[in-house]
Amino acid sequence: MYFRILAKDHVSTFVEGLAHVYEVFAPVKNESGFSFEQVSDGSSIVLDYPMTIIPPKKYFVRSKESLFRYDTHSGDVVESELEVTPRVLFGVHACDINALLMTDKVFLGDYEDPYYKARREHTLIVGVSCMPVLTCMCDTWGTGEVQQGCDLFLTDLGDRYFVTCHSVEGAHVLDTFADTHEATAEDTKALEEHLRAFREAFSRPVDATSLQLLFDAKYNDELWEEIGEACLSCGACSAVCPTCYCFDVNDELDADGNAGARVRCWDSCMNSQFAEVAGGHDFRPTRASRVRYRFYHKFWSYPARYGKTLCVGCGRCDVACKVNINPRRIIGALQEGARS
Amino acid sequence: MKKTHVPVDSSQAYRELRQNPYRPWPARITSITKLTDTETLFELRIIDHKVREQFNFNAGQFMELSIFGVGEAPISISSAPSKKGFIELCVRNAGSVTGALHKMRCGDIVGLRGPFGRGFPFEDMKGHDVLMVAGGLGIAPLKSLINHIHDERHEFGKVTILLGARNPSEILFRQQFDMWRHRDDFNLIMTVDTPDETWDGEVGLVTKLFDQIEVDPAKTVGVICGPPVMYRYAIDEMRKKKLPVDRIYLSFERRMKCGIGICNHCGIGHKYACIDGPVFNYWEAMNLQEAM
Amino acid sequence: MKPRAVILSLSSDYGCQVQMSNFPELLEMLSTFELGYWQLVSSGDMPQDYDVAIIEGAVTTDEQVALLEKVRSIASCVIAIGACAVTGGVPALASGGPVRGQLKDVYGSGSSKVGIGARKPEPIKHYIEVDFSIPGCPIEPAELSRTLQRALRALTDNPERQSMCGECKTAENICMWTQNVPCLGLIARSGCNAKCVSRGRACTACRGIAHDANLASAFAFADSMGCPPEEFDALLKIYNAMSDQELRKEAVGKIAAQEVAS
Repeated sequence: MYFRILAKDHVSTFVEGLAHVYEVFAPVKNESGFSFEQVSDGSSIVLDYPMTIIPPKKYFVRSKESLFRYDTHSGDVVESELEVTPRVLFGVHACDINALLMTDKVFLGDYEDPYYKARREHTLIVGVSCMPVLTCMCDTWGTGEVQQGCDLFLTDLGDRYFVTCHSVEGAHVLDTFADTHEATAEDTKALEEHLRAFREAFSRPVDATSLQLLFDAKYNDELWEEIGEACLSCGACSAVCPTCYCFDVNDELDADGNAGARVRCWDSCMNSQFAEVAGGHDFRPTRASRVRYRFYHKFWSYPARYGKTLCVGCGRCDVACKVNINPRRIIGALQEGARS
Repeated sequence: MKKTHVPVDSSQAYRELRQNPYRPWPARITSITKLTDTETLFELRIIDHKVREQFNFNAGQFMELSIFGVGEAPISISSAPSKKGFIELCVRNAGSVTGALHKMRCGDIVGLRGPFGRGFPFEDMKGHDVLMVAGGLGIAPLKSLINHIHDERHEFGKVTILLGARNPSEILFRQQFDMWRHRDDFNLIMTVDTPDETWDGEVGLVTKLFDQIEVDPAKTVGVICGPPVMYRYAIDEMRKKKLPVDRIYLSFERRMKCGIGICNHCGIGHKYACIDGPVFNYWEAMNLQEAM
Repeated sequence: MKPRAVILSLSSDYGCQVQMSNFPELLEMLSTFELGYWQLVSSGDMPQDYDVAIIEGAVTTDEQVALLEKVRSIASCVIAIGACAVTGGVPALASGGPVRGQLKDVYGSGSSKVGIGARKPEPIKHYIEVDFSIPGCPIEPAELSRTLQRALRALTDNPERQSMCGECKTAENICMWTQNVPCLGLIARSGCNAKCVSRGRACTACRGIAHDANLASAFAFADSMGCPPEEFDALLKIYNAMSDQELRKEAVGKIAAQEVAS
């Protein structure tokens, strides 16, 4: 592994160097909190942020995007190319990087989503370490660290970052745009200290053992009625979730009606229309059944297909949900009788 | 800044044709046959001849039908795979897309993507007796299977079709089936809930017809397709006839949007109707939450 | 031949029509119709025959009821635009008590001479069948444009069902409730990209109450945040005095009962 040390004073210059060649998106502070935005000025970015409102998924599956345009009369598709600009996502937390690895499985599986793929292939990811806030539960899923999925990862050592290079392209941009030096034994010691502090900062452990079995056994538990009664069906949870990727597709016509676009937008399985078929039969007619489906997908279906729980413990839903519906509570309720 | 233009025409099944999986092929409506007040059979022909020639499918698979400017809807294929060059879709006028389709005429252009999903295991069914139960629009995907079996009739044993509808005017493909009632090679029994003066068939639920048939459980494959309420009862009858759980096939209706296992709209428990189904055997279905 | 459209107003401030006139794309869309009459901009009479009627405003007089019935008998497609027409909007705030009493409150002893034929303000759908509803105060021009496209293709209405919060998160807003500002995004119908919250103001549910809204849970949440049910309901009444009245009453009653119990 190629390790380098980047002084915090030099981050700005690094970002500005990158911005000459790439579009750079990084967390910035605004009146709403923190969000990923395009930056050119390195001093505007904030790397020690708790969490952004919306995860970086917005750069790969946009909240709303045209898939293609067509001629309404001939059905000919008139645009079949996607303009992608080389990009850097700078300052992505480990949980969000792991979330991208999870959506990769879906969008780059047997059928590849060409839009997602093109954007993914043209985006460099620079990760950054963090310290957990109260809602974080990456310790449960082991998603607080990255083995893959980024090009560079910066670990905060106080006045400097310990930089791990995960890809040759990452090493290349680091060599070109950043003023770094070799890691010393002292840096390694500081890294160990950071890792220890990170581990010790988690104070609310969640026991997720036997989750699938318990979910099945309690599939008809009154827990779901209780949760369903509280759910606002607002879709805030899925909007902020880095691993929620459901979408809807609709047609939008130009004013003259001669051409139109097939438009994809984020959807939520909390939406009452989600599982409704033409003619009106709804396979998930109650709020309870919809909330249960969302967690079933995260804790049962996705793991059954791809081997991992579809949650990275970022805690965004915990913050976004007004009525306290979140993985921690659901898992807690499922585990209740089994707890030692 | 260097911008890159990436052709968004990739994806496994379509790679030879350089097709984006979301991108429909323009197709022309070549024939329209009104079946009932709400259902119509549309025959479509993909315009691009290269695509048309390579197009192939299994009975039980579905297409995503586009009406440009309105949207897409999943529709199962009703024609047999042996019918080359054309695709027949039996469509109920029930939503925006199907409503718009019902206003179209011969020669008009629609879009098609597909075929998607897992159909009936036609090859594995060979050498068996086949017992099919269909209710209402459920006959649409079965029609493809029936016609395919018809094409290779000698490969199959006894073929029984139990067909139910609410009333005689709602029986799809009635003309063809009326003629088939007198065939020796297909045992077709039709029933309606509410008969009228034209009706000389059975009256009552389709499951009642099981009393009239002999089933050899050792060599019979069961197939069920109908409205959601029908499955439970039809399965019970097949189980009473001792059909093994993995030799009963069910085709499920769901809201397949993308068709390629991504958008999540057609989730049935931990599977997707679009890539794992829409045809599941009963063993799979009984292990799927929300299936029935 | 182009289909003929008319645009008329009942009781409103014409804000939606002003909004329409400000959007070139919508005007382009409207040019696919023969615009037979536009109350805001034309001085001529309504034509005898038309296909599409776009109606703004709440119903507040007997005369308007007669007009609506006539319009419905002529137009094959009726589109209600704006909060006033769709939910009764702000005018419906006056729907609580008898009209005469309210006229007296406002005009005093001379009230017998005003307000002849006045009625309790109501949305259009209470009188005639409406094919499409474009909610909002004012409307989203793009939504009207899309609806006109649907009308041209004889499609049916396809309203947004979800409540605002999800859309508001997508717009990356900070939640008003975390700043102790009561916000109706919890139950408001989505579709405006959370315009108000994006500009620092709480949602007033001018687009109506969402199909998917969970009123009971929203009222309980508001109560837990120090916004009692009566206060939350008063906010909701600004645009939705006539919507989901039973459900609202139920939600308020449920919390009151819980408080008594505890």
